[in-house]
Amino acid sequence: MKEEVFENKAIAYLSGRMEDKEKQEFEVFLKDNGAFQIQFEQLQNSWAQLDSLEVPEPSERMDTSFYSMLYEEQDKAKKKVGFASQIRDFMVSLWRPQFAYGLALLAIGLAIGFFLRAPIDNPVQQSPEVVDSETETVREQLVLTLLEQPSANKRLQGINEANKIQKVDETVIRALLQTLNSDPNVNVRLAAIESLTNYLDNPIVREGLVQSIVSQESPIVQVTLANLMVALQEKKSIEPFKKLIRSKSLDSSVKKKLESSIQQII
Amino acid sequence: MQALTDNALMLKVKTGDLDKMGLLYERHKKRLFGFFYNMNQNASLSEDLVQNVFVRMLKYKHTFTGEGSFAAWMFRTARNVNYDHFRKNKNSRFQEDVSSLQYRGNEMELEEEIDKKESVVQLNLALQRLPEDKREVLLLSKFRELKFSEIGEILGCSEGAAKVKAHRALKELRSVFLQLENKEL
Repeated sequence: MKEEVFENKAIAYLSGRMEDKEKQEFEVFLKDNGAFQIQFEQLQNSWAQLDSLEVPEPSERMDTSFYSMLYEEQDKAKKKVGFASQIRDFMVSLWRPQFAYGLALLAIGLAIGFFLRAPIDNPVQQSPEVVDSETETVREQLVLTLLEQPSANKRLQGINEANKIQKVDETVIRALLQTLNSDPNVNVRLAAIESLTNYLDNPIVREGLVQSIVSQESPIVQVTLANLMVALQEKKSIEPFKKLIRSKSLDSSVKKKLESSIQQII
Repeated sequence: MQALTDNALMLKVKTGDLDKMGLLYERHKKRLFGFFYNMNQNASLSEDLVQNVFVRMLKYKHTFTGEGSFAAWMFRTARNVNYDHFRKNKNSRFQEDVSSLQYRGNEMELEEEIDKKESVVQLNLALQRLPEDKREVLLLSKFRELKFSEIGEILGCSEGAAKVKAHRALKELRSVFLQLENKEL
């Protein structure tokens, strides 16, 4: 056996890393070769002597240091993951607006398409109620504004606008009654009466007309109101008319008209 | 349930499951500590070096392929850690040896130990006088439950060459030990 082969087999035998069959063969070889046997025994003693080497137990400090290091590494790894996720979020945030813009453009496109198509198949119309309501609100504001104007023409225009309103607000009615009672212009007051006749179903209008009888000084307005009360057969107007008749300033022809009207109402 | 092999654990560490390094530490801390202690006879330093091995394994976890054994990879790292330490601290080697004696002296009176285990001390001395590569191969083959194929992997040589190196290191240890004994006489 060559020296190198012996070295190889001897250390394998000593370290217990030899197969049983090989082991037996090596033992037979040693018995037959005294020089190798001696050399092997010397090595075997030194090998066994190594078992006497003592190794102390590592201290707890080693464990503490290791686990501190490990936790630190784990924290670092988490931070790295955090950083990576930040980058990912950043990339996503870059992408998200594009997606949002895309969706927005799509929505705008659909909306445009819908509205362009709408008149053909399904005309979009606001309900008449809505339109009327909006128009009447604007018109009421216009009436109120015009009735406050110093120009009689403007106030007449206001009354004309009031006539166009289907369902007048109480504010407009009171504004018209105010015009009837205090407007300096006879034509405007007459126009107010005419306008108010559109809302005779409203008790406020009828009451207002009755009450305005005594405050009227213009003969033509007095006669107009008398005719209206006759037409309405408004019995509440008799007393204001009688009061007016007793007034000394009342025109005689108007007085006769009022007396006649009272008779017609009764 | 079959416990995960070292290789499987290290591959998990590689993929970011750092907790598994704790398991590997528990499995191998004594082997590594013993290796370093036998190499340098300094318990405190050996603990630091064990720590350095695991730090380095974490740092270079991406290089673990799982093809070789984990033990071989770990001891190769340990070997590099040991070399790097003594290359950086050439001048402190003597002091470390002294501190090692102090460390052991704390556990047992040195004189008493010499009386009781004179041959062990001589064996330690003989071991320390061996060239580092021979001390290393001897300790790896004697104590670390490694196959010679793994030792060859650690040392960067063939299995046969590792056996021959181990044999010759043991032979030289015996020679140095006998020289020390003859001096005593």
